[in-house]
Amino acid sequence: MIGHLNEETVISLRDINKTYPGAVPLHVLKDISLDIRKGELVSIMGASGSGKSTLLNILGILDNYDSGTYMLDGTAIRDLSENRAAELRNRMIGFVFQSFNLISYKNALENVALPLFYQGIGRKKRNRLAMEQLERMGLADRAHHLPGELSGGQKQRVAIARAIVTNPSLILADEPTGALDSITSGEVMGVFRELNESGMTIVIVTHDPGVGASTNRIIRIADGRIEGSSDTPDFKKEQ
Amino acid sequence: MKTSIFDIENWQEIGATLARNKTRTFLTAFGIFWGTAMLAMLFGGAQGFEGMMRRNFAGFATNLGGVFSNRRTVPYKGFNKGSDWDITSQDVEIIRRLAPAIEYSTEMNLRSATAAYGTQTKSANAMGVEGEYAGIMNPVIIEGRFINNSDVTNERKVAVIGKNIATSLFGSDSPIGKYISVDGIYFLTVGVASQLSEVSIGGRLDDNIVIPSTTLRRAYNSGNKVNFFVYTAPPGHSPSDNESVMRRVLATAHSISPDDKVAIEFMDISEQFEMIDKLFLGISLLALFVGFGSLMAGVIGVGNIMWIVVKERTREFGIRRAIGAKPLDITVQVLSESILLTLVAGTLGVCFGALVLGIADSLTYDPLLGHAGFELPFKTALIIVGTFFLLGSAAGTVPAIKAMKIKPIEAINDK
Repeated sequence: MIGHLNEETVISLRDINKTYPGAVPLHVLKDISLDIRKGELVSIMGASGSGKSTLLNILGILDNYDSGTYMLDGTAIRDLSENRAAELRNRMIGFVFQSFNLISYKNALENVALPLFYQGIGRKKRNRLAMEQLERMGLADRAHHLPGELSGGQKQRVAIARAIVTNPSLILADEPTGALDSITSGEVMGVFRELNESGMTIVIVTHDPGVGASTNRIIRIADGRIEGSSDTPDFKKEQ
Repeated sequence: MKTSIFDIENWQEIGATLARNKTRTFLTAFGIFWGTAMLAMLFGGAQGFEGMMRRNFAGFATNLGGVFSNRRTVPYKGFNKGSDWDITSQDVEIIRRLAPAIEYSTEMNLRSATAAYGTQTKSANAMGVEGEYAGIMNPVIIEGRFINNSDVTNERKVAVIGKNIATSLFGSDSPIGKYISVDGIYFLTVGVASQLSEVSIGGRLDDNIVIPSTTLRRAYNSGNKVNFFVYTAPPGHSPSDNESVMRRVLATAHSISPDDKVAIEFMDISEQFEMIDKLFLGISLLALFVGFGSLMAGVIGVGNIMWIVVKERTREFGIRRAIGAKPLDITVQVLSESILLTLVAGTLGVCFGALVLGIADSLTYDPLLGHAGFELPFKTALIIVGTFFLLGSAAGTVPAIKAMKIKPIEAINDK
């Protein structure tokens, strides 16, 4: 849905443009405007090179944009210092990556507790909170296992536990099932749906139609522009 | 948010990181260990070597000057080239009055003599000195006392015998209060002496018989002739400060050409010691240079390893940044590793250096001369570790700043 900002809007983008400089500048995002409401489970779909990952990086305050406005849960995201950006990422966003991005020499519990460490929470409390999330993911018995000792699905559930441990406003997932087989992908998507049902706002970038189909709304992006949203009448299901 | 340096988990993590790359950690730590150990050993070793050398001069005044007579080499006022002359006790009195920089002084006269006690005899040097000789040579009094000015003034027939003479003549008995014969003249033994220094004038004290200079001159019928006149310069002065006065006094009194530098032989031992001082300074500087080179090699090793660590862990740093680590957190993490490595290995290196120096010091210990000084003062050890800590931290700072500047998105995408 492309609408206007209200209290329920978690993400509001207006006329976002992003160009990568170079011998031939690459205009990857063109006048992107987008609203995502609290409690939505949204997928951003597009072909490779369509700009969906760049959009996710901007949403995750991992990358800057050139023009436009971005409001995240009422906070203007523009020209932030590295420290402020780190703080907002820590408190407001949970990331889930395709390749899990767990720290290999830390066990599952330590990986999940890491965002809390950067909030300055004491060891006991952060371990307790991390364990709660691992239990929620059904991985309590794997808490002291290193990532190398876990299956792909277990790793991704640990990554999801790490993403939600700070109780963020938004979960951003970049191809979260890209490295998983179809059965495990289904399990992971099941976890996302459960989280969404508990009220979490989740944005998943994917090129997998199956993943897109299991979300509540699909935003299709092509050549740096939003081509359509599944909650609008003119949205074409397969493009 | 708090800084990770204060969190015990951060340090556990650093320990775990270092433990994961055992060989690399060991080699880097060894570089630091060896750098600090070398610096400590070279520093303390140079000091100990200097101490060992200086022990050879123990008790010997290093600001010593002296004058003695040679044959004339320039004809002057009717005296032919090659003619003899002697310093006299009157010359000595005039020099003492006029010379600007004399602290302790004594005339010295030497004779080869045979000492005897009962049936025991021993060849020795008879050495006539004045009381201030003790201020110049600092003899070690083993028993009794040394010659004093009263002995000289009263021309007493007293003798201080060297410890080797005492052993030869008296065995384990005390010679004090006993009369010995020196070339047939009897002297009351008032003391037994030795010397610490390997350097001496007129032979080693251990093998000499020291008697008042006036007594020796009378005993050997040498009138007022003096073989040498030796003295020390007071602090802040050089023995050479007296040279021109001495030459003038002696040249005037004995009709010696002012151009005859050989006839009046002047010596300034302090010049030799200055050369030795410069040699020791050179050795110390060389030791510091080599030690600092080893230290720098260790520091560069730390810097290199930190670069590798940053490169290897770029992706990890990106993940940490994505989940909330601030740039400073990453810097602290990288720096903490180099600081821990530097502190632990550097401290062990200094301890090892101190241990080696301690062993060297005990091996070179002499009961009479004491310790050579192979040691590392605690302050110096702290300075070495502190210097290494600062340089190691500086070497880790550049990679740490590089790590801090990595953009999270670039780091996450790093393969």
